[in-house]
Amino acid sequence: MPQQKLSMALEYVVNQALTINSAHKTSKLKLTTLEQKTLALHLTELNFPLCFTCHQEKILVTGNIDSADCTITTSLKALKTIKENHALTQAIKDDLLDIEGDLKIAQAFMALAESIDIDWQSELAKHIGDIPTYKLTQLAHTISDKLMFASKQIKADASEWLVHEKRLLVTHRECQNFIDDIGKVTAQIDKLSLRIQTLEQISDKTQEEV
Amino acid sequence: MSAQEQSPSSPAQSNEPETTHFGFQTVETKEKESKVAGVFHSVAQQYDVMNDLMSFGIHRLWKRFTIDASGVRPGNKVLDLAGGTGDLTAKFSRLVGKDGKVVLADINSSMLKVGRDKLRDKGLVQNIEYVQANAQYLPFEDNSFDIVTIAFGLRNVTDKDMALRSIYRVLKPGGRLLILEFSKPEHELLNKAYDFYSFNILPKIGEIVAKDGDSYQYLAESIRMHPAQEKLKSMMEEAGFEQANYKNLTGGIVALHKGYKF
Repeated sequence: MPQQKLSMALEYVVNQALTINSAHKTSKLKLTTLEQKTLALHLTELNFPLCFTCHQEKILVTGNIDSADCTITTSLKALKTIKENHALTQAIKDDLLDIEGDLKIAQAFMALAESIDIDWQSELAKHIGDIPTYKLTQLAHTISDKLMFASKQIKADASEWLVHEKRLLVTHRECQNFIDDIGKVTAQIDKLSLRIQTLEQISDKTQEEV
Repeated sequence: MSAQEQSPSSPAQSNEPETTHFGFQTVETKEKESKVAGVFHSVAQQYDVMNDLMSFGIHRLWKRFTIDASGVRPGNKVLDLAGGTGDLTAKFSRLVGKDGKVVLADINSSMLKVGRDKLRDKGLVQNIEYVQANAQYLPFEDNSFDIVTIAFGLRNVTDKDMALRSIYRVLKPGGRLLILEFSKPEHELLNKAYDFYSFNILPKIGEIVAKDGDSYQYLAESIRMHPAQEKLKSMMEEAGFEQANYKNLTGGIVALHKGYKF
């Protein structure tokens, strides 16, 4: 029953996210307009459908496609094109997306998903208090900074080793110089070929006069 | 209401046999309903907790599977028979919407009360009706429901054939019956492990949590006395259901039978 496991987990996560959403009013409005509407998703990555139904400001996730107002068959990657009308047309032309039913419902569901904006710090503070949250956030920032620095350092060291020590790669400047040299040689060849062409024309003329 | 209460709508005259099973015991037919009622009056308050404990929460997946297989649509009329604490009713109520209706029916008043309180606490009041009813004598008009479900209830019914005929009567043409019930595990090893769990561990959990080991001993026994997959399928066909079929869940520990009335 992987379908039921996934729909149960999704239903829990989606409704939790809606509950703690800081843009609650906007979402509430969107949920009201979607009342009793169902969006069915056939993702190519999954071999079963997922249906999202709005009911009293909650989302039900089932596998019951019989009640779907809009059915979308696509991949996870192409899913985001739904919100952009121009990309949507192209995706349909490219067979990346197939839509059956009312497209506005699909777009409303996407807008609802995008309106979810969770203030994680406030949520964490509710459970562990303000000061521990502040300290944890600081710690997270420090760790994140250190990780970024380490990543930059590793990149620089690797580049040094590959370019200068082992001479396996060239630098960007070396590459640019090489391209410039090629440009110069090409220009010289063009000039020479023009010169040869002129000389050939002169030679032909002289032969005709003789 | 005491455990000796009479079932609703039980006609005095019927063609029921003299004796039937109550777990592994053979009891008089008229006695079974009151004995089953006694079991469920006793366990009603702890029913949901025990379901989670006994099945390790898997009963939620089995019920989801039933909803997914039901093909329910907005506006449908659904009968959740032996609906107990209303797990299926809650989902159906949301899916049929304000134009639809769900009837939660149970023979047992205690279960019905627990179910009604739970659903009201969830804010589900708009489209749910509560009816105390015996599955053998359903107090509804002919051809009145799009879907009838009976989850973990059929094995407690005294005359299952009669209940199936009664369900067939109340279903609309094109309507379907879904029976979610314990069944026979497909593999012998699983069967043995399941037997050990049912007869040794389950009554102990019942004793500790619900303070009622006997009721859970009955549960284990009633599962063994319930018809296996193929037998139940043929019973459905005999009652008039077409395209009757079943799907084993969790290795056949539970099976979902589905049949149509055309």
